[in-house]
Amino acid sequence: MFAKIGSEIWENDTLRTGPDGSIGVVFNDDTLLSLGPGSVLVIDEFVFAPNQGKFSIVIRMLKGTAAYLSGLISKLAPESAHFETPSASIGIRGTKFVVKVEG
Amino acid sequence: MEPRRSVSVALIFLCLLAGCSAKRDLIVLLPDPDGKVGAIRVTTKGGSQILDKSGYAVGVEDFNKPPIAPRSIAEDEITGIFGAALSAQPDLKGRFISFLLFFESDTSELTHESKGLLPEILRTIQNRKPNEIYVVGHTDRVGTELYNTKLSSRRAYYVRDLLVSSGIKSSDLDVSFHGEAMPRVYTEDEVAEPLNRRVEVIVR
Repeated sequence: MFAKIGSEIWENDTLRTGPDGSIGVVFNDDTLLSLGPGSVLVIDEFVFAPNQGKFSIVIRMLKGTAAYLSGLISKLAPESAHFETPSASIGIRGTKFVVKVEG
Repeated sequence: MEPRRSVSVALIFLCLLAGCSAKRDLIVLLPDPDGKVGAIRVTTKGGSQILDKSGYAVGVEDFNKPPIAPRSIAEDEITGIFGAALSAQPDLKGRFISFLLFFESDTSELTHESKGLLPEILRTIQNRKPNEIYVVGHTDRVGTELYNTKLSSRRAYYVRDLLVSSGIKSSDLDVSFHGEAMPRVYTEDEVAEPLNRRVEVIVR
């Protein structure tokens, strides 16, 4: 499916960008994620239910470039926020970072 | 043929230095939109590195080896590699605003400067009319973990009560607390750190 502005994204969705493409995503907890061209990334988990004390954001990047600005999950339950690459795991304590994965 | 051979030797040498490998991750820490710099920990099977300085990068060549120690990376290199991803970052309008209130040591008493911040917090709440306001309590590492969990709870509820007595609906407020587990500044145990004695008020 081709994403357009306003498209909804769910847990287990895979995001892919073409050779000239890019995409920006806003999560329910105000995490901001964006991808540069030629990127592949999977949303493995996303739960934001403060009333039940349930939080989880697990993102797995397979290829390309991404920028990540952490949202409320990193403030309320930072141990529940993970960004994985094929070789490494990034623990996030409220911040902005960029990642490149050569796939 | 002599010169060409020496070039290839130089290239091999460069590869040894730079670690020519088929797959390689690069992770760079950047400042938040408000200028604050957080921290991330990059972990492989071989070990981990903490990044806590803006514009510093960690490389990963092989998941069996620890990440390469952080190094400073030039801004034009960041733009060259990540420019497209960075310019695709969604607009920040409407994103939460967060305030930090600091406390005197071992008390739920606000510092003088932090008392002065209350009117601005109330103004922000009135302007944004959120129905989600998070109040999150923390301590430094002086005292036991259990004691600090309770202290962070007292601090968070103190701020919650202040907001309620200023007219904020208690049903809009979500209180949580983490004791000494989530420092803003890393310290050893039993080290007093004013920047870690805090309650964060997050207004959506």
